[in-house]
Amino acid sequence: MVENARSLNIVAGLILIVGMVYILGPLYLTLTTATQSYEFVLRGGLAWYPGDQFFNNAMRIFTETRIPIQMLNSGIVAFGDALATCVLSFLSAYVLVFFRIRWAGFAFAAILATIMLPLDIRVITTYQVASNVLSPINALFDVTGLNGLIANAFGAPVRLEWSVLNTHLGLIAPLVAHGTGTFLFRQFFRTLPADLVKAARMDGAGALRFLVDILLPLSRSNFAALFVLTFLGGWTQYLWPLVASSTPNMQTAVVGLARLLPDSDGAVPDFPMIMAGAIVVSSVPLLMIALLQRYLVRGLVLSEK
Amino acid sequence: MNAIDTAIRAAASSITLAGISKSYDEGAVVIPPLDAELRAGEFTVVLGPSGCGKSTLLQMIAGLERVSAGRILIGGREVQDLEPKHRGIAMVFQNYALYPHMSVFDNMAYSLKVAGMAKAERIERVNAVAAMLGLAGLLERKPGQLSGGQRQRVAIGRAIVREPGVLLFDEPLSNLDAQLRHDMRIELAELHRRIGATTVFVTHDQVEAMTLADRILILNKGRIEQFATPREIYHSPASVFVAGFIGAPPMNLLPVKGDGAVLRLADGRAVAECRLSGAFQLGIRPEDVLLADAPAADAVRATVRYREDLGSHSVLSAGLDADTGLRIATPFGFDPGSAGEVFLRLPSDKLHLFDAETGRAIPKRLQQ
Repeated sequence: MVENARSLNIVAGLILIVGMVYILGPLYLTLTTATQSYEFVLRGGLAWYPGDQFFNNAMRIFTETRIPIQMLNSGIVAFGDALATCVLSFLSAYVLVFFRIRWAGFAFAAILATIMLPLDIRVITTYQVASNVLSPINALFDVTGLNGLIANAFGAPVRLEWSVLNTHLGLIAPLVAHGTGTFLFRQFFRTLPADLVKAARMDGAGALRFLVDILLPLSRSNFAALFVLTFLGGWTQYLWPLVASSTPNMQTAVVGLARLLPDSDGAVPDFPMIMAGAIVVSSVPLLMIALLQRYLVRGLVLSEK
Repeated sequence: MNAIDTAIRAAASSITLAGISKSYDEGAVVIPPLDAELRAGEFTVVLGPSGCGKSTLLQMIAGLERVSAGRILIGGREVQDLEPKHRGIAMVFQNYALYPHMSVFDNMAYSLKVAGMAKAERIERVNAVAAMLGLAGLLERKPGQLSGGQRQRVAIGRAIVREPGVLLFDEPLSNLDAQLRHDMRIELAELHRRIGATTVFVTHDQVEAMTLADRILILNKGRIEQFATPREIYHSPASVFVAGFIGAPPMNLLPVKGDGAVLRLADGRAVAECRLSGAFQLGIRPEDVLLADAPAADAVRATVRYREDLGSHSVLSAGLDADTGLRIATPFGFDPGSAGEVFLRLPSDKLHLFDAETGRAIPKRLQQ
């Protein structure tokens, strides 16, 4: 709908401006605060105008905090999450769409459920599993009564232990268990003509060749879209890295940023440095969005279909 | 003639369908047991209305659908349990199904590459086929940059580059516009004359069937209604279904009763002589109905309902009574006069009689 009434244009413009101020205001304050000195904040008040201390503050992030190593952690987590999600989603969508499996509908429903049950609401059970990945096997031994027999024979029941807490694997794996990527690939595969797979079969290509020669090249931009989306999601994760990492050197940058606040009550946080840190940490996803915007938009459009 | 023509001609194999059937788990029978023999080098068109099982039949020959029972022999070899690639066949799909990310060359060479053919030989083969189909200048293009007709030719090239014993077509012309469809039909006929591959061509378009086929296999609800040359199909249809399916406009069908001397319409008027008695369907082609000038003893009176002028001729729709009518092909612009009455004569040598109950044709020699 294109309206041409002048009054309507003015109102619409005003609404847009209010919205922009609402969103950009805090970002502006982040920027200006990051350019002021600690003393400026101590004197009180918000930094309404930029200062000249940004370089100083940013340098302190690199020299006085663990943000650099934590950014490396973030990178590993985001990259690992994105890569594993891409591979896993691609393969599971391939199976769901191109093979006649009786329980495919059930499998797909279960995958969709992960979208409706995000990690944030199952963080406690996920933590329990991560603290001992083998606990289900222990439980199985207990339930079947096998452990009683083993305890009688060897003097002690089987208690397997493998904790992935505070490891990169532990940070990544629960993030990968998310169905959006599978859904995205499934929707894409279903737009391909059904005869394509038949033509490949007639040409003598088996399931694997079809996957590698036909499907993979066709899915390139979907891979890029999903990779960017998942990378951004992994980089900005907060809750899971917060509970799953216990040492500062294992924490991700977003968690590290929050930890820059002083622990003791009453102390005024070094807001300029924290805000400079926020800018440094968000520069990576910002750069990514700037460079790969094309794929990001495509991915968002696809996942909404 | 070049190497690829002769290779395909030499590879052409016969197809024998021995009692093959297809049914699904839920008990729905798509194709009841069916027998047919397709000769080597023959162009067979499988024709039928939507949902008659013709695509299923083709996919079973191709190996894309499993047969529920029966045997398929290609070139005397049992193939019903083999993968498509081991059957010596190739297929052209309705929407071409070209690989969108590959160039025309790669599309055509893909099956050869999968089969492990050496690169030099691949290039030679693809170039020969491309030259034959007029695709030589387009080998570097992607399918998205081609017109509908060119894509169609690439799809055909992709099929024949493997020198298959059997070439399968699944409604390949239905996505093209009328003019292009006409051109491609002629191209296909020429190609078949040139390479002589055994061809099975599925369509619901009777014009394609009549013009392309050596023999037409007419399917209805999975059963073979008739398997014969286009000429036979048109001039002696084996059943009411075939009679009503072929021809534009299709054959007129009138319910009649025989009393041992003449065939009478429901209102008792005699329309033709015949020694048979019982209930029949009388069939006559619109172009076989003759118009008499004046009321005559052997002519039937009919009222003209409307006239369609088609340029080359006109088609009259005439009513014999309130329920039954027939269509008559007349010279262009025929004027039935102000009364709108015509007198029709149905020549007995042009009549087709079908059993009213089974719908099967009654042989000519029994009708006299």
